[in-house]
Amino acid sequence: METVSQVIQLFPYAISGGILAGMICGFLGTFVVSQRVVFLGATLTQVSVAGVAFSFLHIINIEGIIASILGITISDHSFLHNFEPAFYSLLFAVIVVLIFSQTYQQKVLTQDGILGIIFVVAVALRIMFIQKSPIAEVSEVESILKGDILFIGQSQFFTLAGIFIFTLLVFTIFQKQLKFVTFDAESASAHGINSRLWLLVFYIVVGMGISLTTRFVGDVFTFAYLIIPASIGLLLSKKVSHVFLTAVIVGGIIPPISIFLAFNYDFSSGPAAVVTMFVLFLIVYGYKKLRG
Amino acid sequence: MEKEILKFTNVTIGYGKKKIIEDINVAITENDFIGIVGPNGAGKTTFLKTLLGNLKPLSGTIQKNSHRFGYVPQRDTVQPLLPYTVYDVVMMGRYSLMGVFGKPTRKDHDAVDASLEHVGIQHLKNYNYNSLSGGQRQRTLIARALAVEPGILILDEPTNGMDTPSHYSLLDLISRLHDDDKLTILLVSHLLSDVANGVKKLILMDKAFFQFGNIDDVLSEENLQKTYSSEFYVNQINGEYVITSKHRN
Repeated sequence: METVSQVIQLFPYAISGGILAGMICGFLGTFVVSQRVVFLGATLTQVSVAGVAFSFLHIINIEGIIASILGITISDHSFLHNFEPAFYSLLFAVIVVLIFSQTYQQKVLTQDGILGIIFVVAVALRIMFIQKSPIAEVSEVESILKGDILFIGQSQFFTLAGIFIFTLLVFTIFQKQLKFVTFDAESASAHGINSRLWLLVFYIVVGMGISLTTRFVGDVFTFAYLIIPASIGLLLSKKVSHVFLTAVIVGGIIPPISIFLAFNYDFSSGPAAVVTMFVLFLIVYGYKKLRG
Repeated sequence: MEKEILKFTNVTIGYGKKKIIEDINVAITENDFIGIVGPNGAGKTTFLKTLLGNLKPLSGTIQKNSHRFGYVPQRDTVQPLLPYTVYDVVMMGRYSLMGVFGKPTRKDHDAVDASLEHVGIQHLKNYNYNSLSGGQRQRTLIARALAVEPGILILDEPTNGMDTPSHYSLLDLISRLHDDDKLTILLVSHLLSDVANGVKKLILMDKAFFQFGNIDDVLSEENLQKTYSSEFYVNQINGEYVITSKHRN
């Protein structure tokens, strides 16, 4: 009990941010898994990391531009401090989802093929950007790129809270359109719903969520939490709303438990969160198998 | 005289710069029952996508009045992992009528119930769509298309992969929708026998060949030879078309 209160005191934002990141991934992951575009999740995490790596080249001083437009000075404690990595992570992800959202009627190439190309190019670009980065050792940049739950501070927490609320709002307000186009885009179009537009909205929201979550908690955590909580939800639930609820609850509960385990047994928090989630998945899968 | 609801004039269909069929002239009138038949790869799906507005014609004009489409896709293209109920799926047919921010009203719920009743699956409304048989899934998709209150019902290969009783039961349902409800129907199939004895008009198509007209005019041995590059006998026995290959022993 003493260790628990110690962890809470030391990492209050890491715990609350981890819960939010897990819930965002659980919610978005349910769509990603049910749409059978799991590889999109993997690709977006790598594209986001490439975007962060690009920011270290400092080709355009985004923070300076924003500061001059708004007529403000950005201090080290400002919300906009260190804004560039998140900006480029988001920009790269949005460009990819713009491309991907237009491929659902693609005749020649498969969506998987397109994502595979983007995936490997993103990994290659990340390496090239890091090599040309003027600011630090490669290993140091790599560790920044990967993100870490324990480094979630106040501004990251509020950004994650903003993403969570924004995502829920979009999917609540436009649930009809998003439900129909993700279920059957062709029929939705035939029945008067602009599938191209709504799939674009869907993928942009998914891209935003994945890219910013990747920036703060890392690619491994994000990808794992997109896939595993949603899979647990699908295994346990017989109603659509219950699948989402289960994925969001599971996604939110495991990160604080894994932070405690990581602290107690001296592991890295990100991998511990992934492995703990996997153990839960194995238990649920075994339970379902036993029950036939 | 029946009212014209959709008209293709000198339309060329295809993807990008690739033309699939040129100079299509088709007029669909109210209460038509049209079969669209051709071999695999003939361009039936491209024609359908163009008709639905999902694909722009490469040239020519398509005039459409205010009738709504009710579309029944090929069953295999709809395989959700999420456990949507039959009722959820049919309600989707009402979404385009609710406006961007609208919620389902009593009228929408009544329309969904009526559509389910109409295709005979009211008792399945709380079942998971994934747990249904092929025939039941197809009826669900037809109910969804009916919930749109369509002017034209378009069915793409509705009997594909079904067992024989479900196959004929579904064709019977489609005929009833036309005969009893006076629905204008477009039925796409690669099975000539499915279409020949049900529809009033026929579109026969292959890449370099397109014929449209009354079934008695279009369904000829010569046209079938041009469509399928194979020879057939076309006979009528007790008013029913019987089509057999000339190459059978």
